[in-house]
Amino acid sequence: MTEASPIVLIVDDETQIRRFLRTGFELNGFVVHEASTGAEAIRTATLRPLDLVIVDLGLPDMDGIEVVERIRSWSSVPIIVLSVRSSEAEKVRLLEAGADDYVVKPFGMAELLARVRVALRRQMRAVSGEPTVKAGPLTIDLSARAVLLNGTRLALTPKEYRLLQVLAQHAGNVVTHQHLLKEVWGTTHLHDTHYLRIFVRKLRQKIEPHPDSPRILVTELGVGYRLAQPEADNGAFAVIQSAPLQAPAKP
Amino acid sequence: MPRALNFDRVRSELRHIAATLGLVGVVTALLIPVIEVSGLRHGSAAYLIPVLIAAVRWGIVPSVVAAVCGVVASAFFFYPPRYSLQISDPHEVLNLILFIVVAVVVSQLATRLKRELELSRQREIDMRDLYAFSRRLAVAFDVSDIHAAIEDHLATIMQRKVVLFAGAREASMSGGQHAGTSIPPQVLAAAAETALEPRDPAGGLTVTLDSGEVWLVRPVSPRNLELGVIAVNFGRESPERIDELRNRVDAVLADATATLERLGVAHAISEARMRSQTDQLREALIGSVSHELRTPLASILGAATVLAAAPALANEKKLKALAHDVRDEAERLNNDIQNLLDATRISSDGIKPRVEWADPQDIVNSAVDRCRYRLTDRRIALDLPADLPLVQVDPVLVQQALVQIFDNAVKYSSPGSQIAVSARAQDGRLVVTVSDEGAGITADEHPQIWKRFTRSERHTATTSGSGLGLWIANAFIAANGGKITAASAGPGQGSTVTIELPATQAAVPQLETDTDD
Repeated sequence: MTEASPIVLIVDDETQIRRFLRTGFELNGFVVHEASTGAEAIRTATLRPLDLVIVDLGLPDMDGIEVVERIRSWSSVPIIVLSVRSSEAEKVRLLEAGADDYVVKPFGMAELLARVRVALRRQMRAVSGEPTVKAGPLTIDLSARAVLLNGTRLALTPKEYRLLQVLAQHAGNVVTHQHLLKEVWGTTHLHDTHYLRIFVRKLRQKIEPHPDSPRILVTELGVGYRLAQPEADNGAFAVIQSAPLQAPAKP
Repeated sequence: MPRALNFDRVRSELRHIAATLGLVGVVTALLIPVIEVSGLRHGSAAYLIPVLIAAVRWGIVPSVVAAVCGVVASAFFFYPPRYSLQISDPHEVLNLILFIVVAVVVSQLATRLKRELELSRQREIDMRDLYAFSRRLAVAFDVSDIHAAIEDHLATIMQRKVVLFAGAREASMSGGQHAGTSIPPQVLAAAAETALEPRDPAGGLTVTLDSGEVWLVRPVSPRNLELGVIAVNFGRESPERIDELRNRVDAVLADATATLERLGVAHAISEARMRSQTDQLREALIGSVSHELRTPLASILGAATVLAAAPALANEKKLKALAHDVRDEAERLNNDIQNLLDATRISSDGIKPRVEWADPQDIVNSAVDRCRYRLTDRRIALDLPADLPLVQVDPVLVQQALVQIFDNAVKYSSPGSQIAVSARAQDGRLVVTVSDEGAGITADEHPQIWKRFTRSERHTATTSGSGLGLWIANAFIAANGGKITAASAGPGQGSTVTIELPATQAAVPQLETDTDD
């Protein structure tokens, strides 16, 4: 984390949810602001400097997705959406509206914090212009257009590199099928998911230590792919899970 | 009787008489050589054959014709003087008179036999129709089943296209489509009106379309509107014919309503209606209760994870364990509620799969991932070849079905046992099997396992569950055009659940896959 405490805005109409999120974030060194309506959230976002916004989808005055769109219209602050067991179509809609990630309720604090760290790190990288992305044994040098596995340079076809590049630019976050197809194959192939499947298979053969149980290029069923990244604070190589209820195992 | 029908009848009668004459000719042709060779004189009895055939097949008129022709032919060909209608011997005259009396009596008897045969055949057909109808009514579960049964029954007995509307709402809302056939809007409007307030309950009204087609719209029963409104397509017919058809419809409907009333159809309909309302109410209740339960669960689960990780509890092992218990139980409750929600989704809205090309490996891996904590003390053996075909399914539904199967495997097997998951391509299908070393399935349990809220009595005391899991899995796989089966060598021998999904080859042009930018 940075020297200064990151500032997070929690937007949820339920007091109990806000309370546990505030406690959880404060225990992890965040400064917390709260908003219980969409209008209040937008006002706070314009008035205060923020490092992160957590938005609940069901707000009393407007749809959470509208809050995402409004904030995104002027700010690049990372936004993570809390939704009730949403359909995959809704997740895609959220990501396309500009949300960085989503967490499905009910969720554990650890799961949310993992997402938050990924989002903050991506923001930091964007600001500093850091050209390399690390994902476990894989290093992607975006400026040199080079991909290294355990220090050895990999030979990738231009399309394979392009796919990895788009994922690396959003390292840690989900990138939707549509976005990947548009970036790699162009707008005429937006629905040819099978291209993507076949390419990902090939790419996994090259970059994954165990291609049949991938840990770097991770599938988000029905939504897209994400380039999984190691946790910054403990250095462990952890897959960030998307499904609800993935809190750590029983002690 | 309209003339058209008479004309038809005369024509067929003439055809039968011609055939009879032919028969008499054949008999004569056969008799002449026999008589010539043997010298027998009394061949006239042989003419009873055409008389009998004509009587049984074509009725009284042709058979009398056969008798008369037989007499004439006997007189002409066989009685001396031959080849003349004169008869010399008075005995022969008596013979011929006796012959004609016998022929007429026989033809009478044969005709009556024929009529009775036809009648009993028709009665048998009617009985069979009625039996099939009553059987369908007996198994009809809801109002629409009953209406479909009535519709088919009427269509069978009237030999015309028949459409039955349950009520005004159905008539106005069906949008011109009814059981796959299109119905003209004028007919729909008439049906809607008739269902609400029939202008002429007994007779109904006819609708003539621009194309000349005529439809009759009337209540099935003038006394009981619950039975619905019927529309019959008469096609293009003359006014006289339409009148005749209307009379027939009246007769058939009077008959049918009597049957319907005897079978208690109206009662069955209102009962089915009540049952479906109860079902709807139950589904709505489950849906809203589950939703309401989930909201506080999110706070409970979230708060428990914050507590469990709080620095204040870092050295308080027992308190930490309590917080973990709260979290785990909240998760369990959440899973149960999720199952209830899925069940409501299946039975109320039906499932709408979001089909896309998916990699079977991804689906299985993600299902294993989701169950990771439930699977911690089982040995998982994954066998996923790298060259599995892509499948066109809703990957999330298939994953959720797999999660239910894993859950079940864990529930009925002991810690340390193995759960093997494998996937294979086979005859254009993707076959995924999940085998455990658990309690297995007995022959008695086998037909029950896919049913809703069904749990085996062997396990109710030792394991908890709602009996929804496999039912949900089955529904999700079926929604993807797949099939799910279970097999077991017996109790304690473990069980294998097999999912089959259609797999067609994805077309990827080679150029697209490897070309450079």
